[in-house]
Amino acid sequence: MGSRLTLTARLTLLFTVGSAVVLLAFGALVMAAIASHFDELDRDELAGKLDYAAQLVATMDRPLSKEAVAKELASSFAGHHELVMQVRGPSGMVWFASPGVEFPVSLVTAPHLSHWRSGGRTFHGLEKTLLVGATAGGALTLVLALDTAHHERFLQSFRVTLWLFVACAVMFMGLLGWVSARRGLAPLRAMRERAATVTAHSLDRRLPVQAVPPELAELAITLNEMLERLEDAFKRLSDFSADLAHELRTPVSNLMVQTQVALSLPRDAEGYRAILESNAEEYERLARMISDMLFLAKAENGLVLVHEELVDVAHEVRQLFDFYELSADEKRIDLQLRGEGALRGDRLMLRRALGNLISNALRHTPVGGTISVAIDQDAARLRIQVQNTGEPIAAAHLARFFERFYRADPARQHEAGEGIGLGLSISQAIAHAHGGEVAAASNDGLTIFSLTFPNSR
Amino acid sequence: MKVLIVEDELKTGDYLRQGLVEAGFVADLARTGTDGLHLALTGDYDLLVLDVMLPGLNGWQLLQSLRRSGNALPVLFLTARDQVEDRVKGLELGADDYLVKPFAFSEFLARVRTLLRRGKASIEPTVLRIADLELDLMRRRAQRAGRRIDLTAKEFALLELLLRRQGEVLTRSLIASQVWDMNFDSDTNVIEVAMRRLRAKMDDDFEPKLLRTIRGMGYVLETSD
Repeated sequence: MGSRLTLTARLTLLFTVGSAVVLLAFGALVMAAIASHFDELDRDELAGKLDYAAQLVATMDRPLSKEAVAKELASSFAGHHELVMQVRGPSGMVWFASPGVEFPVSLVTAPHLSHWRSGGRTFHGLEKTLLVGATAGGALTLVLALDTAHHERFLQSFRVTLWLFVACAVMFMGLLGWVSARRGLAPLRAMRERAATVTAHSLDRRLPVQAVPPELAELAITLNEMLERLEDAFKRLSDFSADLAHELRTPVSNLMVQTQVALSLPRDAEGYRAILESNAEEYERLARMISDMLFLAKAENGLVLVHEELVDVAHEVRQLFDFYELSADEKRIDLQLRGEGALRGDRLMLRRALGNLISNALRHTPVGGTISVAIDQDAARLRIQVQNTGEPIAAAHLARFFERFYRADPARQHEAGEGIGLGLSISQAIAHAHGGEVAAASNDGLTIFSLTFPNSR
Repeated sequence: MKVLIVEDELKTGDYLRQGLVEAGFVADLARTGTDGLHLALTGDYDLLVLDVMLPGLNGWQLLQSLRRSGNALPVLFLTARDQVEDRVKGLELGADDYLVKPFAFSEFLARVRTLLRRGKASIEPTVLRIADLELDLMRRRAQRAGRRIDLTAKEFALLELLLRRQGEVLTRSLIASQVWDMNFDSDTNVIEVAMRRLRAKMDDDFEPKLLRTIRGMGYVLETSD
C-alpha cells in the first residue's frame, strides 16, 4: 500500500509530518516557557509578601500572641483574594490557617515553589521562617500560597489557542506541501502527457529535454533514445511490408495475366505446358523471395538462432569457390584466396553471407576478370574482402547496395539470372547478427565488398 | 504402397493425392486430425503425410497419440513453420522427416520414396545403372555403351545423385545441397553449367537422351519411354 502512494501524496505526507513535528516541539517549548515564567512571577510575589510579613511580625509587641499575629497578618493581606496563609508556632503547632485550605506538612525548601492541590484548587506556595528573637523561645513559620486558578485559566485558553494554531498550521503546511509537490512535479506530468500522445503514427514525437529540470532531463533523454530505436524498428518493419507487397505484386500479376490469357482461348497441350512451365518458374521465384524475406525479417529482428561454433573462414571460402567455380569458369573469371582467419558464429549463415557476396561479384565481373577474397585478422577484428574487377560504381549506388531489392539499374529488373535483390541485404543482416559490419567501395576498376567482425566474441 | 495424407487445406490435399496417385501410389486423404488419426490406426498404410495446423487434433497431437498406441508408421511432416524449434519438436515426437511449405512436388516425392525405401534392408548396390549408362561406385568409374566417360569428382557425385533418384525431378536447390553442401538458394547459374557439362559428357554423343531439363522445376534422369 505505502509503496503505491503517488509521488505527490508522498511528498505532501512527508512535508506535513515534518511540519507537525517542528510545530509541536515549538508549541511544547512555548508552553514550558510560559509555565516557568508564571512560576517565577509567583515566587517573586510570594517572596515579597513574605518579606513584608516578616517585617510586620518583627515590629509587633512582644511576646507574640497567636491571635495578635493572625489578626495582624489577616488584615495586612485582606485585599488579596488569591492569597492564602498558614502560621505555625515555635513548636510547629498551627496558629492560624486560611479557611478551607489544606497545607502540606512539609514544603520544598525555598526559593523553590511548592505546588499542591487542595479542594479542587492548585496552589503555589513558599515558606519562610520569621525570626522573632530569643524571647519567643523559637521561630514562627509562615507559609504563603497563591491560588493559581487565574494562571490556570490563562494557560488553559492559551494551550487551546496554541494547539488550534498548530493544527491549522499543520494543515496549511500540508496544503502548501501538496501545492509545491504538484508544482514541482509538473514537468513530470508534462512528460507523461507528451508520452501519452506517442502512438504508432507519431513515433517521431520526442519528450522535452530543455524544458525539464536536470534530474528529469536524463530520463527524458533515455526515453527519447528508446523512442528513436522504436521508431527505427517500426520504420524498418513498415518499409519491409511495403517492399514485400510491392515486390510480390509483379510476379503475382504476371501469373494472373499469363494464366487468364491462356484460359481465354482453347489451346493445344504444348501451349498449356508452356504456360505451366513459365508459371512454375514464377512460383519458384515467389517461394524463394518469401523465404528470403522471412529470413531477413528474422535476422534483422535478431530472431535467428545463432548456432555458435568456430568457423574457419578460409575453408568456407574454398568450399564456396568449389561451388562457384563452374560459373566463374564460364566467364573465364579467376578466383583467388589470400589469408586466413577464424570466427565464432553460425557456419551456415556466414557461408550464406559470403556466398551472396561472391555470387554478386560473379554477376558483375566482366569476362576474363578476377575475383579475390582476402581474409585479414588481427587482435581486434576479422575482415573479409571480396574484390572484383569491373566498371567503377558511383558512390550514390554504393551507399544503397545493401538496401532490400535495390538494383543499380532498375531497367534490368527480373532479367534472367539476375538476383531478386535480397542477397546483399541478407549478407548485411547476417553480419549484423554477428556484431559485424558491411561496407562497399569502388576505385581503380575494383569493387570491394567487405565484412568486418569484432574479434573478441 | 499406401499413403495417408492428413491435410485440411483443400487444394493442397487434392493435389498431393493426385500427385501421389499419378506417381503410382495408393493415397487416402483426411481433412481433420481426428479423421486422420482414426484412419491411421485402422487402415494399413505405409506412410503418413501430416500437416501441423489441423482442425480437431493438430499434427503434433495426432503423432503423439499414434506413437503412444505403439504405431511405428513412418511420418512426413508438412508445415509452413520453419523455425528450428518446430522442426526439432516434430522430430522429437517421432516424425521421420520434415518438409517446409512451399515445397517442390518433386522434392516431396523424393522424400516419400526415401522414407518408404528406408527400413527395407537392401544391399547397397555398388554399380548404378540406367539404360546403357553405368556408374561403378567402388572403382569411381563411369561408362556408357561400353565407352569410358571421364568425370570430375563433382560430376561423379552429381551423376550418382541423379542415378539414385532416377525418375525423380531434382530441384536446383536440392542438387546444390546434396552435391556441394550449399544449403541456401544461390542466384547463379552453377547448377545449369554443371548439368550442361555433365550432359555433354554422358548424353550428347549417345542415344537415347537420358538427362532432361524440366523447365521451372529442375532435372530428371530417366529413360524416355
